Amino acid sequence: MAAFSISAMQEPRRALPYVAPALALLAFVILIPAVYVLWLSFQQSTFGRAATFVGFANYAKILADPYFWRALGNTVIVVLVVVHVEVVLGLAMAVLFAAGLPFRKLLIAAVLAPYAVSEVGAVVMWRTLFDPDTGFMTRVLTGIGLPPLEWSVVPSHGLALVALLSIWLHLPFTFIILYAARLAIPKDLYEAAEIDGASAWQSFRRVTLPLLMPAILVAMLFRYIFAYRLFSEVWLLTQGGPARSTEVVAVYLYLEAFRYNDFGAASATGWLMVVTSLLLAAFYLRRLYREMFARAD
Amino acid sequence: MPTDPAFTPSGLLRLLGKAVAVALVLAWSLGPIALIVSAAFTPERDIFATGVAWRPTFENFVALWQRWGDFFTGLANSFIVTVGATLLAVLTSTLAGFGYSRWRSRFLSGSVFAMIALRLLPPIVTTLPLFPIVNALGLNDTYAVLIILYAAFFVSLGTMVMRTFIDQIPRELDEAAMMDGASQAQIFRRVILPLSAQGMVAVAIFVIVYAWNEFLFAFIFTTKNAKTAPLVLSEMIGSLEGVEWGVLFAATTVQLLPILAFVVLCQRHLIEGLTAGATKG
Repeated sequence: MAAFSISAMQEPRRALPYVAPALALLAFVILIPAVYVLWLSFQQSTFGRAATFVGFANYAKILADPYFWRALGNTVIVVLVVVHVEVVLGLAMAVLFAAGLPFRKLLIAAVLAPYAVSEVGAVVMWRTLFDPDTGFMTRVLTGIGLPPLEWSVVPSHGLALVALLSIWLHLPFTFIILYAARLAIPKDLYEAAEIDGASAWQSFRRVTLPLLMPAILVAMLFRYIFAYRLFSEVWLLTQGGPARSTEVVAVYLYLEAFRYNDFGAASATGWLMVVTSLLLAAFYLRRLYREMFARAD
Repeated sequence: MPTDPAFTPSGLLRLLGKAVAVALVLAWSLGPIALIVSAAFTPERDIFATGVAWRPTFENFVALWQRWGDFFTGLANSFIVTVGATLLAVLTSTLAGFGYSRWRSRFLSGSVFAMIALRLLPPIVTTLPLFPIVNALGLNDTYAVLIILYAAFFVSLGTMVMRTFIDQIPRELDEAAMMDGASQAQIFRRVILPLSAQGMVAVAIFVIVYAWNEFLFAFIFTTKNAKTAPLVLSEMIGSLEGVEWGVLFAATTVQLLPILAFVVLCQRHLIEGLTAGATKG
């Protein structure tokens, strides 16, 4: 009797009731809509009207639109800057914290604080800091003889502020991943390096960095995928302006769908967004796999 | 016996370098928050004045209460949506985590892969077909639509975290309970649930922080009744002509402080969840 139950436990069908709710949620909210978007991207579709098949016309329209290319360029630049600055800062902080600090728990709590801040809250903070007339950072910049950030007028300044506030919001995530990986490196390796006469820089270069590589790639992959979705920061800071110059792909998609009511073009943008983000991440994914196989050998 | 490294010149230099680095880290992480929170307690006319002594006051919070009733409705809505999304996400993730931890089959490993792959889809892409569907179902501007969306976007991470935690519960416990005549549902309730509480807390923290702060879905799917606090905040920024800075800072502070306190209190679980989710997911 008992033996029968245990073998029933191995019967995969019995897992279904447990996994079904989660899969249903994903299917109805993400999978089916995503497939529907693919279908929609080949249709001429306006809200409230029947769709008609138009082949690749939507893709052709988007790819011929200079505003799309500008949005794509802005996105790629911001994502590259954000992800790399985050990894460098996160790595430096992980090394600093691993070297032993007093009040470490309290300091980690402080570092985690931006994780709790909403995008809207962060926009309030950073636009106040960089307010052209009264901002604290504007005063600091002019105080040391630098020009202030004219983020509402100059497109590159607007994107710089967007990047800065994205880094601020997401650095806690990158830091935690790298810090946890750094703590997992056994102490003896550093002791051995010290006995061999390695300097602090050498032991970072030869011990820390290679052993952190998998964690660095994981953190970067996550951040590539998530940074690519950038919407709220841009929408709330510049609305893509002036003159559509600071748009990113998600803002472009939103405008196509909800302002110009062109759901077909917006859907095509959606799939282009997925494909381009995967292409950008693919390079790192490949290195990640190689790294994993190298470790498995 | 070597001298204490802290008292050699190079040791002192190191210490100084560390102190400067810590100060920079603190200023970067807490500076923007401290600025807004302190400005919220400053009289409106003093906020942007230089060289004025700080006179703490609650007048911005009083003005917020009197003029922005909408904001407090938004907070209540955020609370309801956050609780709903958390319950739904934790429940479905724990069930699925159990399923994936205890059974193996081709369908199961295929569906895990699909779950991870679906995380790659940007949320804004799914709003396109959902918008007309939500309208047709009459779900626009309801709590339900936000609860379902928020839970759906965390169920895949949640399942991976729960599977990691449930994998650590020895199967012998399941088998022992089965010998005692427990059914599968009983094993789940009596053995798995109590022992995987830590994982459930980690998943709950993710969903709580996300649902409390989320902007995009709230912006697209709510207009009046289910409007969440971040959306009301964005409207306060949006009234570009007459932004009442003191009131805006007070509102930002009220929206932030509860979730900030929560993150600080749950630090340990948050770190565990982040590392489990990132490395196994």
